[in-house]
Amino acid sequence: MIRLEQVTKRYGDAVAVDGLTFEVPEGEVCVLIGPSGCGKTTTLRMINRLIEPTSGHIFVGDRDVMSVTPEELRRGLGYAIQSVGLFPHLSVAENIMTVPKLLKWDRKRMEERVEELLTLVGLPPEEYAGKYPRQLSGGEGQRVGVARALAADPPVLLMDEPFGAVDPLNRERLQTEFARIQRSLRKTVIFVTHDVDEAIRLADHIALMRDGRLQQYATPEEILDHPANKFVHDFMGADRALKRLGRVRVSEAMRTAVPSLSGGRSPQELSTRAACADTRFVYLTDADGRLEGWFDCHAVEIGTTAEDAVTLVDWRDDAVRPDTSLKEALSRMLGHGYRSIAVTDLTGHLLGDVAFSAVEAAMSDSDERMAAAHDAREGAASDEGSVPE
Amino acid sequence: MAMVTEVRPRGRIDRVAATGAVTALVGVAVLPFVVFRANRIVAGAPRSIMDAGPAGLMLLVFAAAALAAAAAPYLWPALTRRQPLALKLAAAGMFGSAAWSVGQAAVRLLAGATELARVSIGAGAWLALVGAAVVEFAADSQLERCWPRRATTVAALVAVACAALFGGMGQLSIVREYQSQASFFWLYVGQHLTLAGAGLAFGLLLGIPLAVASTRWRGVRDVTLGVVGVIQTVPSVALLGLLVIPLAAAGLPGIGSLPAIIALTLYSLLPIVRNTYIGLSEVDPAVVDAGRGMGMSSAQLLLRVEAPLALPLAIEGVRAAAVLVIGIAAITAFVGAGGLGVFVFLGIGQVADDLVLLGAVPIVVLALLADTGLRALAARAVSPGIRGGTT
Repeated sequence: MIRLEQVTKRYGDAVAVDGLTFEVPEGEVCVLIGPSGCGKTTTLRMINRLIEPTSGHIFVGDRDVMSVTPEELRRGLGYAIQSVGLFPHLSVAENIMTVPKLLKWDRKRMEERVEELLTLVGLPPEEYAGKYPRQLSGGEGQRVGVARALAADPPVLLMDEPFGAVDPLNRERLQTEFARIQRSLRKTVIFVTHDVDEAIRLADHIALMRDGRLQQYATPEEILDHPANKFVHDFMGADRALKRLGRVRVSEAMRTAVPSLSGGRSPQELSTRAACADTRFVYLTDADGRLEGWFDCHAVEIGTTAEDAVTLVDWRDDAVRPDTSLKEALSRMLGHGYRSIAVTDLTGHLLGDVAFSAVEAAMSDSDERMAAAHDAREGAASDEGSVPE
Repeated sequence: MAMVTEVRPRGRIDRVAATGAVTALVGVAVLPFVVFRANRIVAGAPRSIMDAGPAGLMLLVFAAAALAAAAAPYLWPALTRRQPLALKLAAAGMFGSAAWSVGQAAVRLLAGATELARVSIGAGAWLALVGAAVVEFAADSQLERCWPRRATTVAALVAVACAALFGGMGQLSIVREYQSQASFFWLYVGQHLTLAGAGLAFGLLLGIPLAVASTRWRGVRDVTLGVVGVIQTVPSVALLGLLVIPLAAAGLPGIGSLPAIIALTLYSLLPIVRNTYIGLSEVDPAVVDAGRGMGMSSAQLLLRVEAPLALPLAIEGVRAAAVLVIGIAAITAFVGAGGLGVFVFLGIGQVADDLVLLGAVPIVVLALLADTGLRALAARAVSPGIRGGTT
């Protein structure tokens, strides 16, 4: 649990953070968001006392952060930043051991921890432990940064735009992985970003700030449906239905029983159309069940050769994972011009697919869910469409 | 269609190696190979390589071989792959035969002369050695660090050592000077190392804390970098003279090793402070922020993160300081601090060139050893994660 009470930071006459009060429950992700200069990073840095507040109190657990030395406080709070800040002279393993070393863990325990964490962030330890930061790609560096922040298993994680410096595709992957890790670790996380989609996707609560003041502190659904003022409404953007899809995972809208053929795919074999009984597309997999492409039954009917009816794809680019957001899945579909997109696990095994119609259904579902939730809270009909000022 | 044959295209001449070989050949042909004097201080008579006999011929053959090896990729494309090794062997031969030649020339010229007659190394022989070094360098820059490279380097050293021990180099006047000054020589070497070592040690003790303080406080930085910069512009003789005043005021001797060590300390400060300061201040702020954010204290941050990252530049500064103080320590003989500078000043006073060399050559050797040693240290001490690049 993290609680801020009337926290203010002044630089001379300028007020960076003004009377901020909110509470993040145990095991939740709170995303601090707002335009640049709104005080979100200052707020984050006051929690681990890289910046000292001018007035007010900050509690981590039930302990006032001012009651311990900054060093002791920080060793108990995981810290990951946009520029990563990996120590270039230390190997990946040594980087991850930073806080455990400060806490004087024994060697064996540290090595086991490194192995565990690298596996957790999806970097095979035997390949990555000995590498130096300059040998890593941007995305790999960010993963190591997150692993390092998690090293001493702190209950609280402070993350300042941790995925800000990577390309959009990698950022999407990192977000997916972060969401997966968070589901199993249940840390209390303060996450600073300026990316609205990232906030909606990852947050349990969003704290939207402007000029050092809190504009609204609420769940993503609440903030999308009932913005507290015009600024919040404008900042979150107009495409609220689409943004809400960022909260729904592919696994929730996935069709699992899909027609597929594995093993040999000679044109003769395919043209028997054994699997084309009541569907147009049949997925093709290798003997292990890894997605290789699909077969268009109609194309054969209208006289194309069986060979031309086969589309071969790379599952890494042309399929999504179960924990990808529906928003991302939709964007991939539109990008490729598909009416549906295959779903595979992390190693390419075909799990099912998501159809455009399923995305539409999910969109109206989440509308209904949200309306119901709102009704329950307010005990009144939702006034969707109008914006409270 | 033209006939297709597998022919290796003509390569380029290795210009560096060719320059080395030509330098040696032209130097030997045009300039005096050795200088003959009837006694220690009269003007010398230039003598050519002809006086070295078969050894001199061997030097010419090796220099020509180096030239041929340098041009091999152009003349014999098929042999291109063997070029670096051929160059290394030619260079080893040039070193050995040049050393042997000067020894042989001394032996031959002194055979019929009086006990007072002297033979010293001439410009031609020096150029032959420089040329050999250039060929060696050119070959090394083509070769990976591997056993043939090391073996041929050792071969060159062995060839020179053999020539020095058995080839009559003992007859050269610089060796004669050494023989008559042997006990002083080692005393002065010891003094020289003590002076330079003390200057460098105090420079480190003072310079590193100053550099660290400079990264923490602007005021300290401005004063420190300003002052050490100004010190460097004061000529060493003038600085030694100026030091007499405060030392006298403090009741301390203005001559001897005390002012020498103070002066050397002051000169070593600039490279040490400046490089360490730059090294520390160039550490990525994100790295420092990450370290602080994870709970490192200032001292832990300095020792575990900032210092290792600043190390390549800091060692570079210490290397520059070491070479600098070894050179300036020669000047401190001027205020009676001893050291190899004594030979230089005595030699100048007596117009005895070889006595000057007896002081100057070991100073150069010491500087080169310090340089090589600190480079080796840098290669070992710097983390592979930042080796060969900046932080």
